Amino acid sequence: MYGSEGFSIYDIILWAQGLGVSVGVFILSMTLGLLLGVAIGLIRYYQIAFLGKTLMMISEFLKNSPIIVQLFLVYFGIPAVTGIDMTPIEAAVWTLSANTAAFIAVIIISSISSIEPRQLEAARSFALSEFVILRKIIFPQAFSVSIPLLVGLAINQLQVTSLISVIGVYDLTRVGDIVNQRTFEPFIVWPIIGATYFILAKLLAHLGTRLERRFSQHKIMSEL
Amino acid sequence: MFDLSSMMQYLPAFLEGFIMTAKVSIISIGFSFILGMIIALMRISTHKILKYFALAYVDMFRNIPFIVLIFFSYYGLPEIGIYIDAFWTGVLTLSLAVGAYTAETLRAGIESIDKGIIEAAKSFGLSPFKIFIKIIMPIALTVSVRPLGSVFINLILTTSILSAITLNELTGVSKVIASTTFRPFEVYVFLVFFYGLLTFLLSGLFNLWHLRLNKYNEAG
Repeated sequence: MYGSEGFSIYDIILWAQGLGVSVGVFILSMTLGLLLGVAIGLIRYYQIAFLGKTLMMISEFLKNSPIIVQLFLVYFGIPAVTGIDMTPIEAAVWTLSANTAAFIAVIIISSISSIEPRQLEAARSFALSEFVILRKIIFPQAFSVSIPLLVGLAINQLQVTSLISVIGVYDLTRVGDIVNQRTFEPFIVWPIIGATYFILAKLLAHLGTRLERRFSQHKIMSEL
Repeated sequence: MFDLSSMMQYLPAFLEGFIMTAKVSIISIGFSFILGMIIALMRISTHKILKYFALAYVDMFRNIPFIVLIFFSYYGLPEIGIYIDAFWTGVLTLSLAVGAYTAETLRAGIESIDKGIIEAAKSFGLSPFKIFIKIIMPIALTVSVRPLGSVFINLILTTSILSAITLNELTGVSKVIASTTFRPFEVYVFLVFFYGLLTFLLSGLFNLWHLRLNKYNEAG
C-alpha cells in the first residue's frame, strides 16, 4: 500500500483504469445513442402518430437540462420509484445514451430534410418501396451530410462523460479527485487529467476529419 | 406515486437556489462576454503572439471538461494563496471557460463584416475604439446573437456543475431537498422541467433580440 501523501507508481494504474472507464462509457453511450437517435429520427420523419411527437418532446428536455440533473434523476430517482437498482456505470451509460440520442435525432432529421424532395418524388414515381428509398436514397446522402455534425457532437459528449464522476463512477475525473485528495497536489493532478481529456478530444477530432474526408470523396469527384 | 404536494414547504429553499443560479449566471455572462470580445479581437489581430495566444486559449478551454477546470481552481487557488469562496471560484472559472465559446461566436460575426464598412469608418477619422463599439460590434451581433444565445443557455446549464464544489445553486439545493424528502424522482423531474422551461424562455428572448437587430435586413 502507498502512504498518505505523495505520488506512487499505483497512481499510473489508477489513471489508466480511469481512462479505460471514461473511454468505455463514451464508446458505449455513443453507440447506443446513435442507434436510439436514428430510431427516434426515423419515427419522427415517418410521422408515426403520437410516438414521434412524444419522443421529440422528451428529447427537447434532455437537450435543455443539465446532464448532472439527468444523472441524478436516473441514478437516484428511477430506483426510488421503480425499485430497480442500478450500478453507477449502468445509470451513467443509460443517461448519456439517452442524452446523445436526443441530439442525434435532431441531426438525423435535419440531414434527411437536406435531401431534395424531388428525388424522393422521383423514386416514388418509380414505385420503389419506402424501405428501398430509405436504404438507397435517403441513407447514403443523409449520412454524408451528418458526419461533421456527428463528429462535433462526439467531441462534446466526450467532455460530458467527465460528469459521471458525480454519481460515483470511477472515471478519469473521479481518479483525479481521489489522487488530489490524497496528495494535495492540484497543480500536478488536474493538469494531467485535463491534458488527457485534451489529447482524447484531439484524437477524436483527427479521426473525424479523416472520416469526413472519406465520405465526401464523391463531392470531390463530382466537381471534376 | 408521483407526489409534489409534500414539496411545497421546500419552495423557499428552491427559490433561493434559483436566485443563486441567476446571480452566478448573470455575472458570468457579463464577464465572459467582455472576455470573449477581447479574445475575439486578439484572434483576428495581425499580431502573431496575440493571435496564437487567443488560438491556444480557445482550443484549451473548449477541449477540457468544465468539471476538471472547476476542480483545478477550487483546489488549486488556495494553494497559491488566493482564498475566494465557491461563488467567486465558480464565476471566474465559468467566465474563463465560456469566454472561449463567446470569442468564437463573436469572431464569426466580426469576420462576416464587409471590410469596406470599416474602411469607410476609418476615412471619417473615427478612433479604433469607437469603430469597434459603434460599428463592428453592432453589425457582428446581428450575426452572432443567436449562437451567442445558445452559448449563454449552455452557461446556465453548466452552473449546475458548481454543485460539485458545494455551491448551493438550483441543483445543489435540489440535492439537499431530494435527500431530506426521500423523493428524488419528483425533485429531479421537476428540476429537469424547470431548467427546460428556463432555457425555452431564454431562447425565445434571444430570438426576439435577433429579430430586433435584423429588422433592417431583408433576409432577417
